[in-house]
Amino acid sequence: MSPLDIDVLQVTTFVVIALIAVAWYLSYAAARLDRLHAKVEGAMSALDAQLVRRAEATLELANSGALDPATALLLADAATDSVERTTEHPLAEDLLDGQHFGGREQVESTLTEVLGLTLTPEVLARLRAQDDELVEDSVERIAASALRVRMARRFHNDAVREVRRVRAKWAVRVFRLAGHAALPERVEFDDDLPPALAR
Amino acid sequence: MRIGMVCPYSFDVPGGVQFHVRDLAEVFLAEGHEVSVLAPADEDADLPPYLVSCGRAVPVRYNGSVARLTFGPVTSSRVTRWLETGGFDVVHLHEPVTPSVSLMALWAAEEPVVATFHTSTVRSRAMHAASPLLRPSLEKIRARIAVSEDAASTVHRHLGGDTYVVPNGVHVDRFATAPLRPDWQGSPERPTLAFLGRVDEPRKGLDVLLRALPAVLDARPGTRLLVAGPGDPDPLLRHADPRAAAATEVLGAVSDDDKQSLLRSVDAYVAPHLGGESFGIVLVEAMAAGAPVVASDLAAFARVLDGGRTGVLHAAGHAGSLADALVRVLADDALRMSLRAAGGERARVFDWRPVSRQVMAVYETVLEGVRADLAESPRGLWGRLVRGAPEGGPT
Repeated sequence: MSPLDIDVLQVTTFVVIALIAVAWYLSYAAARLDRLHAKVEGAMSALDAQLVRRAEATLELANSGALDPATALLLADAATDSVERTTEHPLAEDLLDGQHFGGREQVESTLTEVLGLTLTPEVLARLRAQDDELVEDSVERIAASALRVRMARRFHNDAVREVRRVRAKWAVRVFRLAGHAALPERVEFDDDLPPALAR
Repeated sequence: MRIGMVCPYSFDVPGGVQFHVRDLAEVFLAEGHEVSVLAPADEDADLPPYLVSCGRAVPVRYNGSVARLTFGPVTSSRVTRWLETGGFDVVHLHEPVTPSVSLMALWAAEEPVVATFHTSTVRSRAMHAASPLLRPSLEKIRARIAVSEDAASTVHRHLGGDTYVVPNGVHVDRFATAPLRPDWQGSPERPTLAFLGRVDEPRKGLDVLLRALPAVLDARPGTRLLVAGPGDPDPLLRHADPRAAAATEVLGAVSDDDKQSLLRSVDAYVAPHLGGESFGIVLVEAMAAGAPVVASDLAAFARVLDGGRTGVLHAAGHAGSLADALVRVLADDALRMSLRAAGGERARVFDWRPVSRQVMAVYETVLEGVRADLAESPRGLWGRLVRGAPEGGPT
């Protein structure tokens, strides 16, 4: 056996080990990225669902007849905008697989603002005094979904930060581990709870 | 809902995180959820039925103080078994970057993970040093909760990213309805002040209070200071002004019931802390019990006291400023009345009922996200390989 043979064998072994290590790392990084993408998508659909719920509950309250017509019209207008944006851009048909918010920020900020301006402590006290179960229920649902919108948006943005961190790694970029998935973006809009509804 | 909660600190030793986990677990159990708490605990100790011990905790020096933590292969296998047999819908970890059982559960968990950060300690070099190791596990956390703005900004500084603030909770009614104890109640001639906390821990600020006391005694000679909390106060009292030492009554460690009665009976609760507080739960307890609060102007305290609207703030570590505040509060009956009213109102924000509702909303929001990504099949690495077009295209 010549020294050359041993060298070849050793080198081959090392190369194979190195390849296995690289392959393991890449598949690990891809799985990690996949998990993160799934998390962002899940967070986005939770946010979407809560926004839809908020808009629907607002519409219900607006149409209940319990409010004065001006307030009702303001609420209905803002909520209809939100509902329309959701149905015009259903996330399931979004080519970007639900990772984009479709420019709804302004509409949702407006709804937040109108809710804050109209549902003042006095108005809420009067609504609750009517002792109408349907009205009570829609106010409760507005409060619950507005709170969850706030949470969902933060959890989404946190997940976005993690995805972007991992996707900035050179191995992920060079080997295109992210595939065709769009780079997710933070969603920023005003989601303050109406002070009277914050508990 | 089946909830698995993990507490990194020994459950048979009192502490803020332990109390938080205990109360939250009990509130959810009372609402009909199934809750199991995994924590280090001495198995001989008197443990609640929902607690699963992952072994005995060992005192270890970590992050500048001695903590009772648990680690090692035995703990690790108990964590795995607890997760496997639990069948939890959600796993809620407390202090997930403390090197104890929460971190191990984070490592092992396949369930959706929610994490609560309690601390605002700045010395978290370990968090930085170990971050490449921890980062992939931390990515499993679907929702991060901080108990205060201060805890949230610590998380932001060390780990980056957003957290949702859900405050610590207090059983407000238990404090508001605690029985009065005549021997702790003050009179116009002999007003009473309460201090609560470890007496031998300098950052709790008993020393500052003792230095402020002579000036208070000048204005109100009969003032009594009631000191409740574990530790040996003798070294402090020996060095204190003799008048201050004579006005001090040491109660030692007190039971929960006595703590509630104490706060309800006194003319003012004093929190002269020097720092290291991320929340100030005892301030909320004092407000719930209707005690006027005089506290140092730490950021966390100022926030709990609504910027000083529901309590009187003094310059932290400054005995003169504390004495002025105490004299003012003891002299002014109307001020004390209004502080009691405002504090009682403020404490409602931190009642476990609204607080636990917010935690439940976090769980529900997280589960909604999980269901959405489970619905999108095929999922996972195999799905990607088979489909060829990872993440792209309508499914």
